[in-house]
Amino acid sequence: MPARFRPTTFALAVLVGGAGALPAQEPARIALESYALPNGLKVILAPDRSTQVVTVDVWYNVGSRNETRTRTGFAHLFEHMMFQGSANVKKAEHFQLVERAGGNNNGSTAEDRTNYYEELPSNRLNLGLWLEADRMRSLAITDSSFTNQREAVKEERRLRVDNQPYTGAIFEGMYALADSATCFPYSHSIIGSMDDLNAARVPDVKAFFDLYYSPNNATLTVVGDFDTAQTKRLIEQYFGGIPRGAEPPPVVCQATFSPGTIRRTWPDAKATLPGVLLAYRLPEYKSDDMPAIELLSTILGQGESSRINKTVVRDKKLAQGAIVLANPAAPRRGPGVLLALGISNQGVTPDSLEKGLSEEFAKVVRDGVSEAELAKAKNGYRTQLITQQQQTLAKAEAIQAASLFLGSPEAVNTNWRRFLAVTVADIKRVAGTYLRPENALVLLITSGAGQ
Amino acid sequence: MNPLRRWGAFALALAASTAPLAGQEYPKTPPPPGPLTPAPFPPFQEAVLPNGLRILVVESHKQPIVSLSLSFAAGSIFDPAGKEGLAEMVAGLLTKGAGTRSAEQISEAIEGAGGSLAAGAGPDFLSINSTVLKSSLPLAMELVGDAAVRPMFPETEVELLRTQTLSGLQVSLSQPDAIASRIFQRTLYGQNPYGRSPNPASVKAATRSDLVAFQRARLRPTGALLVVAGDASLAEVRALAVKTFRGWVGAPPATPVFRAPPARTKTELILVHRPGSVQSNLMIGNLTFLPNDPRTYSAAVANQVLGGGASSRLFLILREAKSWTYGAYSRYARHKGVGSFEARTEVRTEVTDSALRETLAQLRRIATEPVPLPELEAAKGSLTGSFPLSIESADQVADAVANARLYGLAPDFVQTYRVRIGAVTAPQVQATAQATIRAGAAAIVVVGDGSKIYESLKGIAPISIVDPEGKPLTPADLSPKVVALDLDLSMLVPRRDSFSISLQNNPIGWQRGLLDKTADGFRYTEDTHIATFVNQTTVLEMDATGRMKSVKQTGKVQGQDAMVDVVYDGGRAKGTATTPDPQTRQIKKVTIDTVVAEGTIDDNAVQALLPALKWKAGAKWTINVLSAGQAEIKPWTLAVSGTESVTVGGRPVEAYRTELTGPPAPLTFWVSTAAPHLLLKIAIAGAPVDFVRVP
Repeated sequence: MPARFRPTTFALAVLVGGAGALPAQEPARIALESYALPNGLKVILAPDRSTQVVTVDVWYNVGSRNETRTRTGFAHLFEHMMFQGSANVKKAEHFQLVERAGGNNNGSTAEDRTNYYEELPSNRLNLGLWLEADRMRSLAITDSSFTNQREAVKEERRLRVDNQPYTGAIFEGMYALADSATCFPYSHSIIGSMDDLNAARVPDVKAFFDLYYSPNNATLTVVGDFDTAQTKRLIEQYFGGIPRGAEPPPVVCQATFSPGTIRRTWPDAKATLPGVLLAYRLPEYKSDDMPAIELLSTILGQGESSRINKTVVRDKKLAQGAIVLANPAAPRRGPGVLLALGISNQGVTPDSLEKGLSEEFAKVVRDGVSEAELAKAKNGYRTQLITQQQQTLAKAEAIQAASLFLGSPEAVNTNWRRFLAVTVADIKRVAGTYLRPENALVLLITSGAGQ
Repeated sequence: MNPLRRWGAFALALAASTAPLAGQEYPKTPPPPGPLTPAPFPPFQEAVLPNGLRILVVESHKQPIVSLSLSFAAGSIFDPAGKEGLAEMVAGLLTKGAGTRSAEQISEAIEGAGGSLAAGAGPDFLSINSTVLKSSLPLAMELVGDAAVRPMFPETEVELLRTQTLSGLQVSLSQPDAIASRIFQRTLYGQNPYGRSPNPASVKAATRSDLVAFQRARLRPTGALLVVAGDASLAEVRALAVKTFRGWVGAPPATPVFRAPPARTKTELILVHRPGSVQSNLMIGNLTFLPNDPRTYSAAVANQVLGGGASSRLFLILREAKSWTYGAYSRYARHKGVGSFEARTEVRTEVTDSALRETLAQLRRIATEPVPLPELEAAKGSLTGSFPLSIESADQVADAVANARLYGLAPDFVQTYRVRIGAVTAPQVQATAQATIRAGAAAIVVVGDGSKIYESLKGIAPISIVDPEGKPLTPADLSPKVVALDLDLSMLVPRRDSFSISLQNNPIGWQRGLLDKTADGFRYTEDTHIATFVNQTTVLEMDATGRMKSVKQTGKVQGQDAMVDVVYDGGRAKGTATTPDPQTRQIKKVTIDTVVAEGTIDDNAVQALLPALKWKAGAKWTINVLSAGQAEIKPWTLAVSGTESVTVGGRPVEAYRTELTGPPAPLTFWVSTAAPHLLLKIAIAGAPVDFVRVP
């Protein structure tokens, strides 16, 4: 595919988590069973024996929102530590064991959760479960691996943030809306600051592990080709002996809406073209308004026939590409954010692009959307959900997201109804509530060429 | 004991050997693999229509969804010389008006049904892809058919795509990985089509009739492949295809004999100078073999050992052991023509040479030492074990078969792959690596800040230096040179330079520079006002020979205070600068106390001194420039690239077009060819801003 709009491809690839994948139209229902071990570990099993693939997916209820003011970036740095070995797994052996088995594994950190998964040929389910159990019960935390991983994370920051155009602006849009004084959890980026990374120490790692990586703060989901009874026995054997930990402290965030428009210029030395980023404050993910907001973001800025692509990109030729996304990294239990990013065509100033984008937001606030637009967005939503259900990993992530953000794994089978129930009146109402100028941050991104 | 109970206990014990009981001990070693029932490759069906179109169907009724893909041998290698980018533009336009629908009607139709439709072109193939809910399969087939057979290439769409493509090229010049890939391909393949890439001139040169001719010639049914995966049967697909493609016949012209890529006998290093880069992107590799080469399997194993994943040598050494990088990988790239091997990583600037040396050492090692058995078995286990994951969805199964067919692999490639990988031996891996991973005859591309890494790379291989667009640079373009500026002082007479600053012809500000004589030299006072962005005044003092004495700058840039106060004296520059940091927007205060070589000028002095340079066609100056805000001294290059006419005050004036590289954004100056050599116009690369002299 020709990458006509690389920056957002980047943004999607790097930031989008696995939430929101729910069944649709007449989708195959995901058969689920959930229970908890005595130590508090939540377990969700979803067998599907049609292929020889199984996914083990563990979500810890911790992310950048749990970080303290002087340790931003720590949840992500800690995620790296989870691959540095445990009592029975040597440093870097985790990757090797999974790769030798022919599997894939990774972890990622978002604002609200940290995930770890193994996709495996189904005869190696035991390996995936054992690797997750071993690090949950006995993570190795040494000076040398910590120093090493801190450097790797700094390198990741250089690679993905400092050395890339538009990323700084996207981060600013994601986190500048929350007030650092009243809502620190959502006012700083997942990648964190270099100074905080440099200041992090080994005892911080130990404390973080004890506080957040106990079984009672985790959910284990297994999806794919496995025998339920046998798998339950394995889970008991591997995870049953891990002691329960203390309950982590609550996360506090006071959301503010519509305090007045914030406008800034954002010089981006790495950008060769200027651009504009609009960010709007959203409610928490489980809010009744979210299905309408997500469908509205599709109508505004996803797909070629979306409003902004039709007007701003095609008709007015102000941008070479534009996209609108609700919660670009992953859902949040605290206040969310809707981002609109446009990258100027050659010869277009940020000011005129901003005018073009803002007009579209004003129009939807004033006039709402048509029935046809809403139907189209719902159809797109259905296809997307069904597509995601073709692989065990995406299913596992969808189940986890339902469990964490909607309060029940079973919501993976029902949440789509909330989307299909959205009316044009709902859309107009949420547009009027959240997409007003006084609820927005406007970043005028000037290119390196603009000095 | 009841024999039945004994039998029960035995059964339980058996079960426990693969599935231990609750309460059983926690294992201290990785549990062994359970049995995996050997599963045959999922079924698929193939057919050929009378017009030569091949059809491949992978049926799966698990979800009400179906995907289509129609592929042609019509990739970028078929771009006519000088029109690179044509295949990609054709692909981009196939869905922008076709059959009876305009671009908007197409996107409304497909998105209205909740589906997707897109076309793209790689080096070898052009593909049109669509995914829809089952109920919309006829619509998807119709849209794919219209795109392939009946595209309209409306002028407005052609021009819109051209604008977007040009902007995309501009963006890719800011992306180090894209720069590395482009220069690497060019270095490996030279004038062979796999080495070419679109550039602004080639994108501008492609006409609508070129696009139409390309589509008519190459998008033909014979040799094309229609792949359908998901909730559809072969009969259903065949019936739809027969209806959709009725009357469509013919074959594309035979693939021409392309110019052979250059033979390489020793390693060379291309340093792509990207000033200010905080990382270096490394690519190392060489040409390999054709897609149906029997070494495909041993090469896959060699690559898995070396750099295929996170348990491979490059990753374990460069990332895990050394912390030089976030990732380091290698791969064999398959082409219809000769393929390539490449290793790539991005490392922080300071360890560029160490990382390159280590990567080369690992490339040599796999070619000269047999892979130890456990490592070999691990690599093979990984490749065979991952196979079920690679065919999890119907789409993936279809992709795997389609690739085998398009690249002309063995007919049973997908069915026998695992067995063939399993049979690879250590000597085969070494022999293949020796022939196809050639550290001693490799192309190395390093994209990074040349001023920081050139010296340390010199011992590794002969270096040629280029800029991100591939234009040659010299080492002098990277590092400060101790050369005094040769000025014609008679040209430094009091003068006034006034410019109107405009953005796409709309005035947005002005600049005025005044050169005055002082008791012992010159004073240059420059005022710049650009809308609300820049409001600043600079006062520069020079001695009678044009040497820097002091610079004071005050004002605001983008609403924030910017200040420079530097004194040049006795071979040193001392002072302070306050500027907004572009990353953090925080005010950054910089203290300057540094040795300055003879001939070093302040960045604010360039415009002041322009008339005193010795202008002639082809002239080129490399000047050491101190930028107080960046706290750095680096060479800027001013090069006359031609003569052009510039309109000043409504009259044409002949000017030297002169490119200034070195500042964060390159500038183009137009300076009158006739003395006094006055600055007539300034353009900023990548920004639609012009400074035009006001007489």
